Amino acid sequence: MRTFESVEIGEELNLSRGPLTEPIMMRWSANMENWHRIHYDRKFALEHEKLPDLLVNGSFKQQFIMTMLRKWAGVEGWVWTVKFQFRAMNLAGETLQVWAKVTGKRREADYGLIELELGIKNHNGKESTPGTAVIALPYENGARVPYPFVPPGNSI
Amino acid sequence: MGILTDEMRRFIGVQSDVLTAPEPVEQGAVRRYAQAIMDEDPIFANEAAAKAAGLAGKVAPPLFPVQSFRRAFGSPDTLVDRATDPDFDGSIGSSMRGLPELPTAGLVRLNGGSEIELLRYARHGEQISIQARYASITEKESSKGPMIIVVIETSYFTTPDDVIMRVRSTSLLREPQK
Repeated sequence: MRTFESVEIGEELNLSRGPLTEPIMMRWSANMENWHRIHYDRKFALEHEKLPDLLVNGSFKQQFIMTMLRKWAGVEGWVWTVKFQFRAMNLAGETLQVWAKVTGKRREADYGLIELELGIKNHNGKESTPGTAVIALPYENGARVPYPFVPPGNSI
Repeated sequence: MGILTDEMRRFIGVQSDVLTAPEPVEQGAVRRYAQAIMDEDPIFANEAAAKAAGLAGKVAPPLFPVQSFRRAFGSPDTLVDRATDPDFDGSIGSSMRGLPELPTAGLVRLNGGSEIELLRYARHGEQISIQARYASITEKESSKGPMIIVVIETSYFTTPDDVIMRVRSTSLLREPQK
């Protein structure tokens, strides 16, 4: 079990996803019934939208961030907030390296909060999705984080 | 020259009615979703695994509610209605959150990012509702010319007192590159 005390500033998280082939991207578009052609219609993406190739959905990339954070938090913890910007495109065929790094810790009455920076880099190391997250973890010998989660104060 | 019109500015603050997903959270949709995001955690499909994780029962992946608002059976079919429009990019956009469409014909729409607050998972069988509003619509100059930034705030809940998650999502609108 991961606890607030066991986490150190600078600790890193990683998750690899890819290569994101056309079938894998199409499966996501079909699943969410997102028919935006820039994700599956290469002719439209290149000729009409003047894009370099099919784009990996932003909604797809945020899933990878969430999976990485959730698995790290474990069943006793809770991913409270996630913020990110889609600053650059990721293209069909890329393998994405999702990362996060612990930047801060703070104590609340019933649990501790872990602050992280995060992002997604492609195979060339280019960052596309910088952001931050806050994860609640239990204290050693403390109760698990309340579920449903009870925020300590102001929400977003 | 700016691309943000007075007609678009009038949408700032516009709030949707409460919109309920066309179907409750159901096993098949959760399976397809978990497989599509490549996260086949047993808590999404197995009652015993979910209870072992301290949950009351099977749940959906945390961001599942965001993608659970599909075109309702019998409602207008934009894909068919605009099938012969060569400029239709296939994006149905904010109409899926119950908001009126911004008059952005001819502009390219990109996903700019999100701020997400999670309070709990959606459970299998729950009926999810949302209420959304245009929080801000602004314009700024980018390296590719003028860009409109649209921020939509959306709350996901079963009842107003049972919020599952809140999202502030940003869309970027710009003219197609020449």
